[in-house]
Amino acid sequence: MFPSIAWNLISLEVLMTIALVGLIIVDILSPKKTEGNLIGIFSLIALFGLIGFWLTQHDLSGSTFGGMFIMDSLAWFFKGLFLITMVFVFLMTEQFFKLSGKRSNAFYFLLWLALLGMCLIASSADFLLLFIAIEILTISLYVMTAYLKSDKHSIEAGMKYLILGSLASGFFLYGVSFLYGITHSVRFDVIQGFVSTHPMTPMMLFSLVLIFSAVGFKIAAVPFHMWVPDVYQGAPTPVTALLAVGSKAAGFVILIRLFFGVFSAWHVEWSLVLAGLAAITMTYGNLVAMFQTNIKRLLGYSSIAHAGYLLMGVTAGSILGASAINFYLLGYLFTNLAAFLVIILFSIATKSDAIEDYAGLSRRSGILACTLLLALVSLAGMPPLAGFFGKFALLMATIKSEFLWLALVAAVNIVISLYYYLMIVKRIYVDAPINTSPIIVSLPMRLALGVAMAGIIGIGIFQGPFLDAAMTAIQGMHF
Amino acid sequence: MIGLDQYLLLSGGIFFIGIIGIMTSRSALKVLLSLELLLAASNIVFVAFSRFNGDYAGQLIVFFVILVAAAEVAVGLAIIVLMYRHFSTVQADELKDLKW
Repeated sequence: MFPSIAWNLISLEVLMTIALVGLIIVDILSPKKTEGNLIGIFSLIALFGLIGFWLTQHDLSGSTFGGMFIMDSLAWFFKGLFLITMVFVFLMTEQFFKLSGKRSNAFYFLLWLALLGMCLIASSADFLLLFIAIEILTISLYVMTAYLKSDKHSIEAGMKYLILGSLASGFFLYGVSFLYGITHSVRFDVIQGFVSTHPMTPMMLFSLVLIFSAVGFKIAAVPFHMWVPDVYQGAPTPVTALLAVGSKAAGFVILIRLFFGVFSAWHVEWSLVLAGLAAITMTYGNLVAMFQTNIKRLLGYSSIAHAGYLLMGVTAGSILGASAINFYLLGYLFTNLAAFLVIILFSIATKSDAIEDYAGLSRRSGILACTLLLALVSLAGMPPLAGFFGKFALLMATIKSEFLWLALVAAVNIVISLYYYLMIVKRIYVDAPINTSPIIVSLPMRLALGVAMAGIIGIGIFQGPFLDAAMTAIQGMHF
Repeated sequence: MIGLDQYLLLSGGIFFIGIIGIMTSRSALKVLLSLELLLAASNIVFVAFSRFNGDYAGQLIVFFVILVAAAEVAVGLAIIVLMYRHFSTVQADELKDLKW
């Protein structure tokens, strides 16, 4: 007799799979001549449908598949984050492949697969499901990174990402295998029960370090960051955007579940290590970012620095810290996606990602310059934009948990980061353009840029509802 | 008598060989082989603990791990083929275009 399955909890993932399979069938049935972006348009329609469906799942809570799969407020919040990210990534993909003339259908399927993986990560309550979900996400990202078969950099990035990513998943699995040996289970609730009644043993510490290093790889924390700059630079830009926002958020939902839920009983014992990692990560990212000449690579280092800021929230270990992470990720989503939208539109027009080519962008396209300005200034953390209030919440959580020194390190880092973000702004607005031909931005893209800008400003000014949403996500989480 | 400790030692040895292999080999194919060793090491731990704890979940997990490992190798080999077409080599240390 099988236990009954609560299909309503997993319905979002089921619908996603149906959409994926449906699109593959459409692709097979449609005649080869109709190039275009039929799949892209269908993908976007399906995605908006899913977002509508996601909105109805607001109060859903419970677990199914024998406790493997949970749906709680945290999972709901992060699934929304992933879906919104995907809307932008689909739009970027559409733009990116329109001009290169390559067939992009397989790319859309991989994006759908990555979305499915991310949603499963947010919902997994079992290390086996978590491992498989992480692999669904990363393996599709490997393929997408190396997707531009004629571009040397893309292949090189794919190879590097594959080697380091598989190393990380090997670490994760080895850690999980020992955790399984000690606790006799891979389920979060059983492990949580074990943790609350037992002290930390060396073997347990060993497995936790391995698991953390794998998650650290996902979020790009410092000893595990080596892949970030190369992969960010070499990958097709839509993939870079997905890595910077989706993959990082997926890493943080794992961290929140593990550190604030499953292993929360031991939090005191490693908060100092986490604080050290956070400080090193943000300092390294910001210092190296100053010397970059390629904007995608610069955003890669900036993404390392942001992983450092976000780790402060994990260090704090309080509800405030976890909600600050959620809020920050929400702001970070719009900010980073706005920046990547501009990078894509710019590189389509000029075939370049070099920062020096951005000189005088304000005179070539007002809307691109304005969006990039807002995004960079928000990344640096200037009021009243989303990035400012996110950093403020993280710093507040850190200070409340008595890590004053860490907050000071972060404050110094924010000042350092202002330097290189504002250097780009200066290039855009002050320097004279080398090439004065205007860059034309199509209407749908203007709309996307407008939405991203509205997100950056809106979250910055009306923080209330967003902060509430971030807080509710944490308060209602099962683990 | 072979007990749990021996199995864990074996898996530790294989894991260590895998790590050394990834760090020292220049060929991308050897790196891929070493990556498989890491997953194999975890499989031994899962099965050993499953046997000695009298719990079958561990053996079940191994099947999923084998599946994931196969997917990883498939993608890895595909990327190596691409790499060979462009760089005419499978030496991973020839990949040095991207650096600051």
